[in-house]
Amino acid sequence: MSASSSASRIPVEERLFSLVLALLATEAGLTKNEILSTVQGYRQRFVVSGDNSNLERQFERDKDDIRELGVPLETVESPGQAGNNQNLRYRIPRGDYELPADISFSPEETTLLNLAAMVWREGSLSGDSRRAILKLRSLGVATDDPVLGYAPRLRVRDAAFDPLSAALEKNVIVRFGYLKPGEQDARIRTVAPVALIQHEGRWLLHAEDQDVGSTRNFLLRRIVTPITTTNTHYKPLGPEATQTALTELDEIWRDRQAIVEVEPGSDAATRLGKRRGTAPAVAGSLTLHYSDLDLFADELAGYGPEVLVVSPPELRSAVHDRLIRTAADHG
Amino acid sequence: MVERRKTSAKATPLQAQDKLTFLLSLVPYLMDHDRVSVTEVADHFGMKPEQIRDAVRLIGVSGIPGETASYQHEDLFDISWDDLEINDQIVLTHRVAIDDSPRFSAREAAALIAGLQYLSALPEHADRAAIASLMAKLSRGASGAPSQLTVQATETDDTLALIKDSVDAGVQLEFDYLNSRGEHERRRVDPLRIESLDADWYLRAWCHLREAVRTFRLDRISNPQITTQAITHGIDDVKLPDTLFEGSADDLIVTIDVAAAAASLLADYIPDGAVTIERDGRLQTSVRVSHYHGLKRLISSMPGVAVVLDPPDARRAVEEWAAAGAARYAESQAT
Repeated sequence: MSASSSASRIPVEERLFSLVLALLATEAGLTKNEILSTVQGYRQRFVVSGDNSNLERQFERDKDDIRELGVPLETVESPGQAGNNQNLRYRIPRGDYELPADISFSPEETTLLNLAAMVWREGSLSGDSRRAILKLRSLGVATDDPVLGYAPRLRVRDAAFDPLSAALEKNVIVRFGYLKPGEQDARIRTVAPVALIQHEGRWLLHAEDQDVGSTRNFLLRRIVTPITTTNTHYKPLGPEATQTALTELDEIWRDRQAIVEVEPGSDAATRLGKRRGTAPAVAGSLTLHYSDLDLFADELAGYGPEVLVVSPPELRSAVHDRLIRTAADHG
Repeated sequence: MVERRKTSAKATPLQAQDKLTFLLSLVPYLMDHDRVSVTEVADHFGMKPEQIRDAVRLIGVSGIPGETASYQHEDLFDISWDDLEINDQIVLTHRVAIDDSPRFSAREAAALIAGLQYLSALPEHADRAAIASLMAKLSRGASGAPSQLTVQATETDDTLALIKDSVDAGVQLEFDYLNSRGEHERRRVDPLRIESLDADWYLRAWCHLREAVRTFRLDRISNPQITTQAITHGIDDVKLPDTLFEGSADDLIVTIDVAAAAASLLADYIPDGAVTIERDGRLQTSVRVSHYHGLKRLISSMPGVAVVLDPPDARRAVEEWAAAGAARYAESQAT
């Protein structure tokens, strides 16, 4: 009893810190038994020649937590004991743990990285950014003026983002229900994720559709079921694939053009006039670019009578239908 | 049917993973500083002095099991305890196991790289090569290949550059502003901070016309002009709220019905304490708006997804707006 009550006084961070120190200090590695019986935070709860299954599960969770922080905790087989799980040894190789000595950041770079981290103030990436900045400050570089006059922010509000980003990291195939506009029912897609991309303010998954055998873009907000993660691994494509995807998205955006009439002096005239890539057409008209007809129709419908779509016809009828629908819903 | 109440997010205390990262980051920093005050370390890491003292006390008793597997004195870190307890100074006198700063995790590097991509179009970051080399350093300093996370560079124009100049110079700015009621006004402001949400940019400023802090959308600003007059309200003089959109006592509360999957799009408008009823994939909740001009635009941009239920005035405002828009198509087809 006294063992478990004294163990409860050892905080989690002390146990994790002691585990990292112990595994960094060992060249040959420590067996699980050595860790549980000697490392601070475990040893207090270790029962000699008794049942330590709770403690073993704790160790498994701790390993995951530590690896998630980028600490390269590895297993090595004991010499001459290949295949014997009981004699697996754990260690953290120093070279893979430490930031390479030739990497340094100037005060200007440090300031910029602080701003880049600030961008993720919401959602799961805020924790990653916060920890990255702690590691950056570890290097002791003083920053320039911390008040930059900027407070940029990116948001991730799609429920699919976290499971997809986890799948991207583990390179596992996922399945989800995807509802294309105009279709009544969601269709199940099985895909190998390539990248998560924010384009024109919206999150997309660029992924290889396993049924079609080529890459597709999926808007996260059209994923209508929880993400099912499979155990099937795929070989990740390089960063070039992501760059190609971004270039293609830009091409689609450039190719899709609409001409709209805007009420002079209205909100539509001001805001659409300042949209990226907008050019004045004939008097009172603007040429606009868009990526997705349905999302763009939603946006234009919000301007009500301030906007009249001239072309293309499918966009024109999409906006008209939306306005009729909204009027009917509120009549 | 599920009923729930929206509550405001509280500042989360450091989690165990954050605390571990901090300990692993603090040790190399202390190794590079022979003697440093608790307050200096707190300032550098952006933490409270008490958090620093707690971490240093923990480091001071930590170490490795060592040869004897029993944490002997030489297997532990040591600090000058008197300096800490009496002078509030940190002196690391013995260290074990740690030689250097840790690498970034793949996700940490990916988050920073995507943040840099997003910021790369800001006026002062014209040097793309410098940003590219910084990204390459992050990749090389990560323990795994950064996962593929990409953000399109934000689109910025001359207006943003001009506003940034006025923020930096601390001078007043004038511009034509079109508010969401459709009113045009020449505004004179003390610019405080430039903020963004995804692809949208905003200026937070003290407005001399309204004599209050206001948020301006950059795409509603025209003809901006820098003046030579110094600002009268600085960022330290006014209380700048953390959230871009702030409620006021005059706000109107409107009941809406929204598809559950789309409710997050309205999160900024749902006030704290709003009662939400969920049924068959639809939510009934309330949103806070300053006037119906903003509401009719918002609801019309979510056709079939969000419907105003109450009050009747609000329903009518949306109906008239959408009907007027639809009428333009009927007219233009007729001619």
